[in-house]
Amino acid sequence: MVPLSSYLAVAACLFSIGVVGLFLNRKNVIVILMCIELILLAVNINFAAFSHFLQDIGGQVFIFFVLTVAASEVAVGLAILVAFYRNRRSINVEDINTLQG
Amino acid sequence: MTQVTFPLPDVIPLIPEMFVAVMAMAILLWDLFLPKERKQWSAYAAMATCAVAAALTLKLASPDSVNAFYGFFILDPFASYAKLLIYAGTFFGIVLSLDYMKDEPNTGEYYSLMLFGTLGMMLMTSAPNFVTLYLGLELMALCTYVLVGYQRDVLRSSEAALKYFILGSLASGFLLYGISFIYGVTGTFDFAKAGIGIAHAGADAHMALMLGMVFLLAGMCFKVSIAPFHMWTPDAYEGAPTPITAFMSIGPKVAGLVIFIRVLADVLPALQVDYTTILTWLAVLTMAVGNLAAIAQRNIKRMLAYSTIGHIGFAMLGLIAANADGYAGVLVYLTVYLFMNMGAFAIIILMRREGIQGELLDDFAGLSRVRPGYALAMGLFLFSLAGIPFLGGFWAKYVVFIAVVEAGHLYLALTALLFSAVGAFYYLRVIKYIYFDEERVAFDFAESRLMQATVAVTAIAVVALGLFPGPMIDICKAAISNII
Repeated sequence: MVPLSSYLAVAACLFSIGVVGLFLNRKNVIVILMCIELILLAVNINFAAFSHFLQDIGGQVFIFFVLTVAASEVAVGLAILVAFYRNRRSINVEDINTLQG
Repeated sequence: MTQVTFPLPDVIPLIPEMFVAVMAMAILLWDLFLPKERKQWSAYAAMATCAVAAALTLKLASPDSVNAFYGFFILDPFASYAKLLIYAGTFFGIVLSLDYMKDEPNTGEYYSLMLFGTLGMMLMTSAPNFVTLYLGLELMALCTYVLVGYQRDVLRSSEAALKYFILGSLASGFLLYGISFIYGVTGTFDFAKAGIGIAHAGADAHMALMLGMVFLLAGMCFKVSIAPFHMWTPDAYEGAPTPITAFMSIGPKVAGLVIFIRVLADVLPALQVDYTTILTWLAVLTMAVGNLAAIAQRNIKRMLAYSTIGHIGFAMLGLIAANADGYAGVLVYLTVYLFMNMGAFAIIILMRREGIQGELLDDFAGLSRVRPGYALAMGLFLFSLAGIPFLGGFWAKYVVFIAVVEAGHLYLALTALLFSAVGAFYYLRVIKYIYFDEERVAFDFAESRLMQATVAVTAIAVVALGLFPGPMIDICKAAISNII
């Protein structure tokens, strides 16, 4: 049987890829949205693994909440991105630079 | 065969939440049928919703803790008091919006989004459970992202929304990652049960607990803009429509700090030594960033954003004290902050020059000659924010400083005192503009009776809380009694 630590390691890797991608990415805001999705899915792997090994259904129920909220979050994010594109004609990360100080 | 029964959950404690939810949806629909010249009626309906919800909350308030929905909802004096602050924040936010949003199309969504955001904050204050906490937090956050970007033809508004959205989502991810480890160690989402589980966890779970605690704290720090997780605050404050900036500076902070207190008092008491160390450093950093960076700002919304960060740093002293006085001090701080901050934002919205919103510090030059009343009110708010004695802001700082000294962190109180003095500089600089500089461009005030009433009410509240702080402090101490 695959031990709990392996699941947690995979989730930690995905989480780190998401966070690092979010900060290192200098190109495209869509990639940032993908990174956020990756972070949330890493969390879901954690919940599923813990839920299975603890024999507790609560973690799996929580996953559904996380998935639902993640879907609405991306919907709001894309809508904001479209509004930004209309004003700026670009979705480059480097072009998000009007507000500074 | 066993009898399967489905007992109805106890819905009575949730009546204010259900009322706000129904009204938010009703206003969304009603706005479609309103003729163009009567669009402000949806704002009046939203204000009435806040008032009725406050009455319902007062009616339901009892000194005991009531659990509902199988432990997914708690109604105690702490939650009731925080909800009253949140209603007040939303109410003032709507009042400030009335003139500001007059030329915007589709205002119905705007007011119902504010109510949905309020609903999210209400759920957060009543969360005894990570599930309710997460759902309330996201409901609040998603509504505020949209509200920040509400002026969709304005570049800085949509840019602020985008930045806020990205960092806010990252914070949610951090929070969830932390929750997942605490769940993994304790096997429950309930605050109280998780607290017991953590206290009895073995040594092999220490690493997972530390990870969980750090990520959980980081996620919550993002939401209440504690440095170094404050980067979104100045941008979101500057880019958002000014009434939304005012709205964001109260409700979400109240809800966030309430959740902070609940998590520290219920989930993490066994790790107090560890989290005190973390929070102490973060508090010093937050006070430094907030008060030092504010000095360099020329835009008053941006300055007030850093001022918020600084004030959150002072309020954190109450969290670090981790005793009844400290937690009550956080509530006192939020109560006073509500009035002084709302008043300052009301003045900013009133400041209009040649049709342009007056947001730069220079725009305040010579205000005292044209409108001595507003100048006096703004002076009161700024003195109060700076913590000058015998205004509300002084007692807010006093209560948390005393609490943190009692808890044995004298050096921290002294550091806070130092930053408080630094902070006074940039507040008093605005007063210099108002009273001692010449007027440069003609003022063009956007006055309405309601706005004047708001300024008057908040100014009177700041003075009254400064002269008679006793009742407020007593109420806050009573509100905290079930927590600790």
